[in-house]
Amino acid sequence: MTGQTFLFQLLNGLSFAALLFFLASGFTLIFGLMRIVNLAHGGFYLVGGYVGLTVATATGNFWLGLLAAPLAIAAIGLFTERVLLRRIRGQELPEVLLTVGIAFVFADMSLEIWGGDPRSVPIPGFLRGGLDIGFMVYPRYRFFVIGCAVLVGVALFLAHSKTRIGAIVRAGVDDREMVSALGININKIFTGVFIVGALLAGVAGLIGGGLLSLVPGADTEILLYSLAVVIIGGLGSLPGAVVGSLIVGLADAFGRALLPDLSYFTLFAPMALILVVRPRGLLGRQ
Amino acid sequence: MTLTNRAKLAALGFGLVAAVAAPYAFRPFTVSIITLALIFGLYAMSIDLMAGYAGLVTLGHAGVFATGAYGVGYVASRIGGATGQQLLVGMAAGLVVTSIFALMAMRVGGTYFLMVTLAQGMIVWGFATRSTDLGAENGLTGVARPSAFSAYWKFYYLTLAIVLLCSLAMWVIVHSPFGLSLRGLKGSETRLQMLGYNPALTKFYVFMLAGLFGTVAGVMYAYYNQFVSPSNAVFATSGKGVLMAIMGGIGTLIGPVVGAFIIVFIENVLSVHIERWPTLLGLLFIFTILGARKGFVGALSDGWYRWVPGARAERSTRTVSPLDAGDDAVAAPEVKAN
Repeated sequence: MTGQTFLFQLLNGLSFAALLFFLASGFTLIFGLMRIVNLAHGGFYLVGGYVGLTVATATGNFWLGLLAAPLAIAAIGLFTERVLLRRIRGQELPEVLLTVGIAFVFADMSLEIWGGDPRSVPIPGFLRGGLDIGFMVYPRYRFFVIGCAVLVGVALFLAHSKTRIGAIVRAGVDDREMVSALGININKIFTGVFIVGALLAGVAGLIGGGLLSLVPGADTEILLYSLAVVIIGGLGSLPGAVVGSLIVGLADAFGRALLPDLSYFTLFAPMALILVVRPRGLLGRQ
Repeated sequence: MTLTNRAKLAALGFGLVAAVAAPYAFRPFTVSIITLALIFGLYAMSIDLMAGYAGLVTLGHAGVFATGAYGVGYVASRIGGATGQQLLVGMAAGLVVTSIFALMAMRVGGTYFLMVTLAQGMIVWGFATRSTDLGAENGLTGVARPSAFSAYWKFYYLTLAIVLLCSLAMWVIVHSPFGLSLRGLKGSETRLQMLGYNPALTKFYVFMLAGLFGTVAGVMYAYYNQFVSPSNAVFATSGKGVLMAIMGGIGTLIGPVVGAFIIVFIENVLSVHIERWPTLLGLLFIFTILGARKGFVGALSDGWYRWVPGARAERSTRTVSPLDAGDDAVAAPEVKAN
């Protein structure tokens, strides 16, 4: 592997890690506070991508699509949390299994509405083509994805560690009964966090739709990657989502380049290793 | 013998007679659907061994099921081996994969366990769709039933015998001291450990047992369908097995079989009239979780104790669905280690 292909794969891995961070951060936030493993997260991603694609194609404006995707998924997230999950609050296994049902419905309905052919989100003109970074040319859009993830990541960290809402969420992760005893409506916080998680998945759908293609099955595929991220990084930890995304993204990029036939094992091997050595993930609570 | 036990025995006897008489009473198509329901019943029972008895819900059991099926399919269509070799490779492949998965999952529990198994199942699927040796997306064709059982009714009796044998084995397992330690695993790992058991090892054993029966179901499925494809390993197949167990009645052995019959009949008979079967499956999942977690058998037993005069006094104490929190989750929350 030459220096240039190495750098190329490195950037591929980083941009994929960026996409994964959008999914894993929402996933991990929802779990951290509510103890819900949202297996409909892949469905949120795919439907968000499709909605954004439809809006972007109809209006000819990528940015309207980028607005529509999170809004639509936030609405779906609101419905999921308020109408369905709230009925079985606090019962971990039924909650997860409920999201499995939602994932099935999403997968099949998006097949019905958007068909089975792979679709791609049309990206705006100035993000098309390659960017010359001196010694090589690399797609601009992938730089854009990395930039977005860094922006969102910094915003999430600031919100989580500096704001009042962030303090409530952190307190809720430790002890939700105590938080509600302090006069805070924890249910509203639950709904809010669930919506933020869903929203991030919707954004990821549209952004991912420009990077990979939107196709039936993409929802379970991206869910698998997100699961690997949180299993490796540690469920419920935001820094864990960053570390996990980087490991999975880079392992995937280099795995595809070096061992194309065994690309899934580059995902499986680190996960198996972590589970044996640190069952709760690198940065999870042990 | 109590009234309840007599009723159970009578129902079991009736079921057995009906099962033996089925090929005489029904058309070949129906018998073939019943065969499929029995295979899925075994598959759902193996899931319930973990989910219902040990409180370990797996969402990746289709990976184990498909590995058994692929083992048979690979020997049959790529190597051209005899039935004995097919069975050997199918069972060995299933058990090897199960033991790797069990080693990975034995130290985690609850929702984490569910997530890890889900990822495991998907990796089998990902491998199957990519491997050209396994026919990639097209799967493996050319699996032939053993010549002695090629007729549909002979294969039905073979399936019935194997499923009954496995059910009996599982009955013995769940009623043994080991079965009690499974319930301890569900109730509280900390307490189980305090009593001198090793929770991780108990989890490993039950995972292996569930993998064994799941592999048998997968092997039978390969012969039933005479075709193996990545869709056998897909997330929906894992989810379907869990739904069968819950819908029929989780934490019982007969429940998953009842659930398998319900789902297999909806899928193969009613779906002719329903365009979007996966959506229906998802909705069934949602409604079962929200409203009917005790499942068919749970509802039946509630009705029995409520409406049959002689049975009221025999009411057992266990009335919550085993899917709900363990015995002491409400009374004594797990102490957080800081």
